[in-house]
Amino acid sequence: MNYDIMLTGVGGEGVLTTQVVLARAAHYQGYMVEGVQLHGLAQRGGHIPAFVRLHSFNQTVSPAVMQANADLVLAFEPLESVRAAYYARKDKTVFVINDDPLKPVYGNILDIPYPSMDEIKKRISGFAKDIHIVRASEIAKQKLGKKIYGNILMLGYAKAKGLLPISEKNIIKAVKETVRYDVDKNLKAFRIGLEMGR
Amino acid sequence: MDILKKSGEKVVLLGNEAIARGALEAGVGVFAAYPGTPSSEVPMTIARVAKKRRMVFEYASNEKVAFETAAGAALSGVRAMTAMKHFGLNVAADSISPIAYYGPKAGLVVLVADDPNGWSSAQSEQDTRYYARMFRMPMLEPSDPQEALDFTRFAFDLSEEFNIPVLIRTTTKVSHVIETVKLGKLKKPRTKGSFVRDYEHYYNIRPGLQKLHREVDRKLERIEKKYGQKLNKVYNRNSNSKIGIIASGVSYQYAAELSSLLGLKVPIAEINMTFPLSRKFIANFIKGKKAVLVLEELEPIVEEFVKQVAKEVNPRLEVHGKDMLPRYGEYTLELLLPVFEKIFRKSYGLDLKAHKRKYEKAVEGLPPRKPVMCYGCPHRSTFYAVKKVFGNTKNVVYPGDIGCYVLGIFEPFKMQDLVVSMGASVGIAHGITRVSGQEVVVFVGDSTFFHAAMPAIANLRFHDGKSPLVVVLDNHVTAMTGHQPHPGSGFTATSDPTKAIDIAEVAKALGAEVRVANSFNQKQLEQALRELREVKGPRVLVSRGECRLFWRRNMIRKGLSWPVFEVDQNKCQKCGVCTDEFSCPAITKDTSGALPVFRIDPNLCWGCSVCAQVCPYGAIRVKKEG
Repeated sequence: MNYDIMLTGVGGEGVLTTQVVLARAAHYQGYMVEGVQLHGLAQRGGHIPAFVRLHSFNQTVSPAVMQANADLVLAFEPLESVRAAYYARKDKTVFVINDDPLKPVYGNILDIPYPSMDEIKKRISGFAKDIHIVRASEIAKQKLGKKIYGNILMLGYAKAKGLLPISEKNIIKAVKETVRYDVDKNLKAFRIGLEMGR
Repeated sequence: MDILKKSGEKVVLLGNEAIARGALEAGVGVFAAYPGTPSSEVPMTIARVAKKRRMVFEYASNEKVAFETAAGAALSGVRAMTAMKHFGLNVAADSISPIAYYGPKAGLVVLVADDPNGWSSAQSEQDTRYYARMFRMPMLEPSDPQEALDFTRFAFDLSEEFNIPVLIRTTTKVSHVIETVKLGKLKKPRTKGSFVRDYEHYYNIRPGLQKLHREVDRKLERIEKKYGQKLNKVYNRNSNSKIGIIASGVSYQYAAELSSLLGLKVPIAEINMTFPLSRKFIANFIKGKKAVLVLEELEPIVEEFVKQVAKEVNPRLEVHGKDMLPRYGEYTLELLLPVFEKIFRKSYGLDLKAHKRKYEKAVEGLPPRKPVMCYGCPHRSTFYAVKKVFGNTKNVVYPGDIGCYVLGIFEPFKMQDLVVSMGASVGIAHGITRVSGQEVVVFVGDSTFFHAAMPAIANLRFHDGKSPLVVVLDNHVTAMTGHQPHPGSGFTATSDPTKAIDIAEVAKALGAEVRVANSFNQKQLEQALRELREVKGPRVLVSRGECRLFWRRNMIRKGLSWPVFEVDQNKCQKCGVCTDEFSCPAITKDTSGALPVFRIDPNLCWGCSVCAQVCPYGAIRVKKEG
């Protein structure tokens, strides 16, 4: 089988760490894993897309998901979920969106307002089979003290919703292997996400 | 650490990590590099394990010095490697060319990472494959991390077998790809050797030069003969399709995926050695075929070769490639799909054009998210002060340079009028002042200063008179590529202390009038700029402020916190200077009410205090506890 995940967010949100967690978890699960990080010029505050593609060992799969072909979009920032729609389509893609808008400075400078959550949902509705809005940053901050744990929380949520074909055990193992600081809090975040998704 | 796991294990590695592992499996003894994305993670990975592996690792002051370091070691019998981005090869080229003729005594490998589409680079989409021909060096091109690992290890053997340095070329979509990779055996590095004097061999003055040139060409012929068939691969060899695909680099991955997506069983030739290209391999592949589709990003190098070979062995062969695909940018599955559909007369059944139109409508009118300087970035503060003193009219020119400060190209500063190459801003500024009465202010990073700006600054004093003002943005590290140390940092790649070279002292010694200011102090910056504005000859402002991202990481590591700032809503006059002119991303403007409301996100404020200094009404202050 093939399962294509797109992760998107803003530099500093932990997109790349989460990508590596997912890739390792999928690897422990027995998949062949491909993916790519497209960070380059993106410093703090830049847009960062990343992919994780799960497939079996007898297939050759290229690093980036094809246009209109993602199974899952994990968006750590709402505005960027709209731009991820390039990789999504109505009959296939599920969106999980962290309700934590980070307003780009250029919106300030150029006087372009940041869209409301309703508008964001409307814009992606033509590309989504289903949309989940999760208050990941907010709950992570509330319960664990920092917003950054929200990304692993999102993995817990997606897992509980049946959107990750990887076992809890393997995700936990990957978190332990990948996250450099505060492993316990990340594992707690994962459990909170699981609860929220159930 | 996955990178040091045992032979036979399968781990998920980044392409660049896989290259590092390949070098470790080859027992590399000396690794020197100047960081450049998309190649940066290769030296970063080696740096992390160098002490444990008891090998030599250095960040050099530029790519040329890095290559020379590796070459010196390899000429002394120690396996050595360097890695660089495409433009880095331009810098190192001057020394690579003669070393290719000499040939090393132990394996010498040069990794170069191209960046079609400019994910991490502005400037140009140069195709470094041309260099292999010019240097007379074999070039291997992996298509994924597993091949990157295997080819790197093999490159050392190839280099030693023929006494020739070897180039490995990747692109972003190989270097930044993660994949399940099977590890080979680590080899203990040898780090001791000695240079053996050999006038006969190193005599590269005419007629010795021609002899060396002839020898290197012979080596290439032998490499083509021995490895041309072996290194390149054919998939679906037994297919009876009259149309074949020839692909190299990541394009092979696209070809394989699209073939299975469309249910095609077509033969695919994967070109893994792009120089020397094997005439025999191509001839065998195209014999009896009606058409081939050649897939390679950027220049049609393989394609031209296929056309040449076809003239001899299959003159009626249709060769497709750049007639259907662009020479610019990257290939993607969606770009190649219609070409496959047309050539193989199959349909995937999805209207991607309509999808794209729908997508473009969905994102219409959204606020752009261009990359920005970090919260509390010292460069933002310096740009702000320079703009305040010099303005941004036609009478002032701001030649830019390579580093985080290239982000000054965007609003609200727009103070990188052109971006050329490492250190080029100073030379170009000099040329402008030779012919124009405009004021010229250039921005150069600290790492860039050591890399290539010093010769251009020396040149200013040499021809003094009217001179540009050189602003050195000294944030203590090579920030853009991941905070690597440089000769001014005071520590080495392996975290050992070393004497930092003072940029202000160097600038003085190069004949410039110098001022030093704290990047986080607007008054100091302004005063220094105003003073230097009156100086006629060469002048340098060293704006000193530690990279805030690096600073913050160290603060967190030490368990320290910092004061954050807030807007006093009673004092705020809604002028918008903090958001529209200073534009720290931690400050937001809420326009939902009748009057805008400005706020600083306490989670994002890195406490640099400069917003409080630029606020004309003193309305920004340290946030009170709780």
